[in-house]
Amino acid sequence: MSSITWPFPRPRSLLRSLRTGAQARAGRWARKRQGLDPSITRLRPGRVYILPTGVGVVFGIMAFAMLLGSMNYTNNLSFVLTFILIGIGLISMHQCQRNLVGLELGFAGLEPVHAGQTLRIRIAVTNYSKNPRYGIRLYLEGVQTAAQDLKAGESKIFTLPLLTHKRGWLALDRFGVRTLFPFELFRSWAWLHMDIRGLVYPQPVTEAPEPPPTMVSHGHRQHDARGEEDFAGLRKYQVGDSPRHVAWKAYARSGQLLSKQFAGADTSSQWFDFDEILVPDVETRLSILTRWIIDADRSMEDYGLRLPGAEFPPMHGDEHKRQCLEALALFEAGSA
Amino acid sequence: MAKPRGTDGSLLSSLPWTIGALAVSVAPHLPHLPIWVIAAFFGCAGWRYVVEKRRRPLPSVWLRAGLALACFLGVFATYSTISGVGPGSALLAVMASLKLLETRQRRDQFVLLFISIFLVMSALLREQYLWSLPYLLVSILLIMTAWLRMSATPGETARQSFSTGSRLLLYAAPVAVAMWILFPRIAIPFWAVPMDTGTGTSGISDTMSPGDISSLSMSDAVAFRVRFDDIVPEPRDRYWRGLVLTVFNGRSWSQNDPGEGPRSYEEVEVRGEPVSYEITMEPTRQQWVFALDMPHSWELARTFMGPQHQLARATPVDQRIAYNAVSYTEYKTNVELSTYARSWYLDLPDGSNPRTQALARELRDTADSDEAFVNSVLNKFNTEEYFYTLRPPALGSNATDRFLFDTRQGFCEHYASAFAILMRAAGIPSRVVLGYHGGEVNPISGHMTVRQSDAHAWNEIWIDGHGWYRIDPTGAVAPDRIDYSVNDPASEGVGAAWGFRVRTRLIHNITVTMDAIDAKWNQWVLGYGPENQSRLMEKLGMQDPSWRKLMLTMVAIVAVLIGIISFLLALRYGSPVKDPAALLFQRFTRKTGLEPRVGETAAHFARRVRDEQALPADAIDSVTRAYHDARYGPKDDSALQRLKEAVAAIRQPRLRNLSAR
Repeated sequence: MSSITWPFPRPRSLLRSLRTGAQARAGRWARKRQGLDPSITRLRPGRVYILPTGVGVVFGIMAFAMLLGSMNYTNNLSFVLTFILIGIGLISMHQCQRNLVGLELGFAGLEPVHAGQTLRIRIAVTNYSKNPRYGIRLYLEGVQTAAQDLKAGESKIFTLPLLTHKRGWLALDRFGVRTLFPFELFRSWAWLHMDIRGLVYPQPVTEAPEPPPTMVSHGHRQHDARGEEDFAGLRKYQVGDSPRHVAWKAYARSGQLLSKQFAGADTSSQWFDFDEILVPDVETRLSILTRWIIDADRSMEDYGLRLPGAEFPPMHGDEHKRQCLEALALFEAGSA
Repeated sequence: MAKPRGTDGSLLSSLPWTIGALAVSVAPHLPHLPIWVIAAFFGCAGWRYVVEKRRRPLPSVWLRAGLALACFLGVFATYSTISGVGPGSALLAVMASLKLLETRQRRDQFVLLFISIFLVMSALLREQYLWSLPYLLVSILLIMTAWLRMSATPGETARQSFSTGSRLLLYAAPVAVAMWILFPRIAIPFWAVPMDTGTGTSGISDTMSPGDISSLSMSDAVAFRVRFDDIVPEPRDRYWRGLVLTVFNGRSWSQNDPGEGPRSYEEVEVRGEPVSYEITMEPTRQQWVFALDMPHSWELARTFMGPQHQLARATPVDQRIAYNAVSYTEYKTNVELSTYARSWYLDLPDGSNPRTQALARELRDTADSDEAFVNSVLNKFNTEEYFYTLRPPALGSNATDRFLFDTRQGFCEHYASAFAILMRAAGIPSRVVLGYHGGEVNPISGHMTVRQSDAHAWNEIWIDGHGWYRIDPTGAVAPDRIDYSVNDPASEGVGAAWGFRVRTRLIHNITVTMDAIDAKWNQWVLGYGPENQSRLMEKLGMQDPSWRKLMLTMVAIVAVLIGIISFLLALRYGSPVKDPAALLFQRFTRKTGLEPRVGETAAHFARRVRDEQALPADAIDSVTRAYHDARYGPKDDSALQRLKEAVAAIRQPRLRNLSAR
């Protein structure tokens, strides 16, 4: 027997779509109203919103029922109980809002990740008041951090996890801070729109073709590579130099970081060339390059990267790796 | 992998508080709950705690379902109903026990805390004493602390939760007080109040059967308290009129049914000074409202006066009520009695108590007048061997015959009944009045306390040319029952009048003090109703207080209070903690004459100062370095001291700039 499909939206999904629609509209309204926030933002009272929670609604219904009961029995002590509960409800609304007002939120950095990994956005939350703040959470759509307390004057780092899907810049349009303190009767929250962007590197392929062969060059190439044979002198420390090459004794004397240079070493290097990979898909090529760079970096080999329109001569070190991966992340086909 | 079956101990920080809050809210119900409910509650609470402590699994679904069914059937079997405060609180206690056993998550405790709030409320509905308010505050504080514990982060201590709870309760107190005073009290019940709550004891019943009761309760419980505006009536005039019994069926006296009997209102001609007073009456679960004989006017909603001047309320008095009334102790009723009424007040069932009737006729024949006859009857009670006792023997049929001629022992009801029958048999219309007689004046507060043991029965007889006339035949037997002295406080009080209780002065003083506090408490807090409220509002200057005005005033005052509290909260959270190093650095920025930009670090600012202002570079550097050490270095005061000196060494560049210009 064939079933007839229900022609109307199901109540639950209708409710959900109404809800998400309302949330989106409220979000747009708040964005328009508040504008873009600086990277350190103190929460003003006007941007801390508040609504009762489900428990709060039940609490309200209970208080109303108790009021009716007290009136029915004309019982003065149960009037006292009812009015204390109503008073606590009203006070907790203000307390809940005040628990957020005046908090300072600041962007505290993030580390680039590969696509598919979780981008961890660090937000520093500082309580400048002389009163502790309880149960503070940060949240994104769908995820929230654990609740933390902030003592008077204390600053804590909250980490917002943001799932990444593709390479390039990933912008965090909005995040929120919320609290249910004290009785979970009300939820007060604030939306923040900071200019926070994280760089997402391409996802490395798991099965990469063999990297191009290593070219070994002998001696005299001091400028491009730093071998490790005979000590040749000192030069100013550059980011990426191995800590083992730092002249620590010289540092202790002068306070200046210097790197030891060695001459006449055999150096080996590889060139990773975008155009030499025999895969048609651009993204796959970038992923292969990413894999090669990660592997080469791990084995401390020198490598160079050649992209259409950009070239990074063979080197190694964190800075070099960062530059290469950044170029891969932001690579645009046809830009060359 | 299967889910771990045991509990994870995550509720350990909040569960003891929740159980504590529940236990405190169950405590006042303990005397009223069946023993198995108490055992189930404490058993389940202990069990649940051990489960959490030892990380054991919760009991299985089947076990819990079986327990639930057994408990609900148990409650139904015990009370054979599930509505009302008694079964209601038993059900709540059972629900709390069962819910404890399935409390797995933090949020399940919400239900438990809601249950404990309802338990506290039903305890207040059941009974209200002087200690009920402190009890209420303590239990609310506990519930709120448990609530905070439930939603606290692991780092928050119980002490912090407790102090937050107390602080919020303190904030809520003025709001609650304002609402309590101003919320309009309307005396209209929405639904019928179940009659099973524990309160409501009365020495007065609707009928009087002297033969049946073989002892009268000597309850010390307060019936009502009276505060006289000026005149305090003499002890012999302290008759508190209740209900009037006009029908005798051979065994017991009762009121005439509303549809029959004399219905015309008996006019009263009052004399002497009016006595005005306020009565705070304890709940009786009866309709009767008591007032000093003879009531003239009263202020109490839905209260009416019957044809025989008995006050009755449309609904039973099931809460403490307070009302004002005016009475006259001297009065004279109208002198007309219709033939129908006369026959009603003379009616005796045929053949009942033949010896009493014969005695009445005999005494009437020997007396010259009705007055002489009445006197001879009183004289008989007075001079012959009749005894006043609260434990008379049971009498059986023709109770009055047996009482008058055989046992000769009884209390007020026996004498009032016998007297009325004698009167009726001799052709004098008579009836029985039930109420209270007496009252003890509290020397501290000046109010009068009338207790259940002051319950009394007396007679009214119709004398031609005079009207209804009050006769108290008990006075002929036990004059001190009627006329005890008010001047000797140690001998005052219930039992003392009969000499079977000797109280030391100390205990007496304590009792009297407690009674005075209790009286004020009852009058102003527990008995605060529509009458009290409108009187208070008028005293505070509100003209013609209506519920609308009260409601508006309440909303306005609560809004103002909330505004003040919100301001206090803002102060609490507002003023920031300034780091001393930051304050010193601020002084430095002022001295440089440059404004730090938003988000600019100290090092950047210093660089900018060096570039833009004519200040020595090393002085700026030493400020910056000392500032960094003081803020981010190990905590000691040397860096702060260096910063202070470095900032002091900076000279204001502005003057130099000006002179250079």
